[in-house]
Amino acid sequence: MRKTRRSGWKVAAAVITAGIVLSGCSAGGGGGGGEGEPDSGDLNFVYMGDADQQKAFNALFAEFNKKYPDIKLKAVGIPSGNWATFSTTVATRLAGGQKIDIIQVATEGQRLFASKGILADLAPYIEQDQDVVDGYWDDISPNLKKFNEEFAAGPEGETVFIPGGFNTMAMYLNKDVFAQAGVAIPEDGNWTWDEFVSAGQQIKEKTGAYLVGAGSGYFADVMPWLTTNGGSTFNEDWSEPTYNTSQAVESAEFARSLVEMGLAPKPGGQFDANTAFKQGKLAILTGGRWPVLGVRELDMVDKTVVVNWPTKTGNGSPVGWDAWNIAKNSDNKQAAWTFIKFLMSEEAGSYFAEIGGTIVPARESVASSAAFTDNAPEGSTRLSEAMDFATPIPSIDQGAEAQKVIEEAWATIIAGQGEAQKTLDAAQAQLEKLVGE
Amino acid sequence: MSSTTITRVRRPGAALQRRRTALAGWLFVSPAMLLFLVFVAGPFVFAIALAFLKWDMLTTPEFVGIQNFATLFSDPILPQVLLNTFVFAFASIVTHLVLGLLLALAVNRVASRAIGYFARVAIFFPFLISWAAVALLWKYVLDPTFGYVAQYLAGIGIEIPNFFADPAWAMPAIIFIDLWHTVGFTFIIMLAGLQTVPSELVEAARTDGATSWQIFWNVTLPLMSPTMFFATIITFIGAFQIFDPIQIITRGGPQNSTTTIIMYLYEKGFQAFDMGYAAAVALLVFLIIMGVTVLQFIGRRKWVHES
Repeated sequence: MRKTRRSGWKVAAAVITAGIVLSGCSAGGGGGGGEGEPDSGDLNFVYMGDADQQKAFNALFAEFNKKYPDIKLKAVGIPSGNWATFSTTVATRLAGGQKIDIIQVATEGQRLFASKGILADLAPYIEQDQDVVDGYWDDISPNLKKFNEEFAAGPEGETVFIPGGFNTMAMYLNKDVFAQAGVAIPEDGNWTWDEFVSAGQQIKEKTGAYLVGAGSGYFADVMPWLTTNGGSTFNEDWSEPTYNTSQAVESAEFARSLVEMGLAPKPGGQFDANTAFKQGKLAILTGGRWPVLGVRELDMVDKTVVVNWPTKTGNGSPVGWDAWNIAKNSDNKQAAWTFIKFLMSEEAGSYFAEIGGTIVPARESVASSAAFTDNAPEGSTRLSEAMDFATPIPSIDQGAEAQKVIEEAWATIIAGQGEAQKTLDAAQAQLEKLVGE
Repeated sequence: MSSTTITRVRRPGAALQRRRTALAGWLFVSPAMLLFLVFVAGPFVFAIALAFLKWDMLTTPEFVGIQNFATLFSDPILPQVLLNTFVFAFASIVTHLVLGLLLALAVNRVASRAIGYFARVAIFFPFLISWAAVALLWKYVLDPTFGYVAQYLAGIGIEIPNFFADPAWAMPAIIFIDLWHTVGFTFIIMLAGLQTVPSELVEAARTDGATSWQIFWNVTLPLMSPTMFFATIITFIGAFQIFDPIQIITRGGPQNSTTTIIMYLYEKGFQAFDMGYAAAVALLVFLIIMGVTVLQFIGRRKWVHES
């Protein structure tokens, strides 16, 4: 009897434990919530930002709180290496039961979140403040609005995101190194691959400096070389990968040739590019708006100029943009919309640009204003102008896996560990499999 | 001869006293039990249940029976991943045991107390640094262009391999970094084990004319075998679950040459959003570790000297 009772307790304990832990296995938050009030309530906002970026964001949120003191905004910055990792982190938090009212999602994660049906349809809110939204649409690049509709709609085609700031890719040139080498900086910001290589060879010969870093980041390295040669990782609607086309192979081989010619440091490890830039050991930093923070810290704003990525067939750049949304299970959707309207405002855009935001403001009026161009390298407006020829960074539902395949293949090629065509053919096959899933 | 019957005298309140004693015992162990339930037993049960589901963390899970296990046995990447993991674990065990033992023997023989203490701290210190810092540090040190190793060796005409970009070198580099970071722990265990070797046995062997090597091989090593057995088990369990340096330095590359089983589990669960399959992989890890540990316990009869 005693033995039976003891076993019974053991079984009960196991069942209770299983029940408790299985109850944690819930959906990430696909329904429910409430409207709340537009100017009061608690809001949880999650965004991607390292320690430096968090300072700028916190200053922005303090401005919001001044205007809406009854909305308790709890903003959590998640430092992530890339947007795919950020999306994964947010998904994990949602699965763990964390309530998040607004998630800042970049292009790399928008399709993933939109497709899961966890974001609210913004149409009613847009309608209730149509004037405000129309004013915003009129001030952003038509391409940005178009991309948002094409690539970030909900499962029924509904609007679930409001696009925010974006980044394109450009090159930050060290004027001193170029001057020392006697290399002219392209006045209109445009140069070709051949001119780029000539400049690098002259810089190497005269100063010993490397021309540019050779990385394998999807947004920062792979896409710029592909798009300036008329290529991309996927076709226009992201339904088919195009990673092994002749343009892609040529781009990869060109990137590898920079390492072979000694114009780029060997890839594989880690070095402080900003320090090398300051010391004149590296002639070019690449990036969107984010290198500006480092350039300011290095006190090199006046010694740096922003030019377009060198071209083979024409100007090209990837573009990735932030977007804001309201989670379906938010209990304060009206307050969340108030916060989104604040983020859309010219005032917020200008303030964020001034204090060191690492994105190009969505509003063209802000991107061409002193808020964006002051204390920034000459030519910074080229980042905004690149929107005219930019390609949205292809981000299929299996974004993180696709990114790994793309970056791994590129890293193999630029490190000289694999022949370009063969490596990209293998990556293409993996991408086709992912799209088919 | 009369037998004495011992009669149990039931004191009043004895049952209540026994229950109170038992309750006190349960209360004392309850914090540890709670931690065990929440962080070990609970997740374990959860993982078993999850392995029978298809779940992407964002939508409702779906019961799929044994589909995840069927996929496990037909996964073309899994054999390579398991091979990487076993290679790492085996190399880790060998290098940790050998170097840990050698360092312990060396430090144990140091006459100066001050130098001995300094050596212990210096050898153990890397173990205290977080994996994130260690991985980033070595990524800078071994950078093929700007890293210290490359720069100093280039000065004498030696070109180093591209450790993190070359599939042939990436895993050896990770093994080395892991050794640098964690040998201090094995060293401390070995040092503690050396203290248990009775000095009179060593003296007796020396008196009988045994050489240093003979003393080491026939006296010290056998008496150290329980310690080495413990170190082997702990090292294997830790090495089989290696993740941090790989996630930070190589992300499983180049060309999957450093993708280990936990890295693979992470990719499946948190990048492919296939938590069910990741749970199945986790159960496989559990079974492998348990199986190897059992084999080690069976094998101990052959080589572990029980005094």
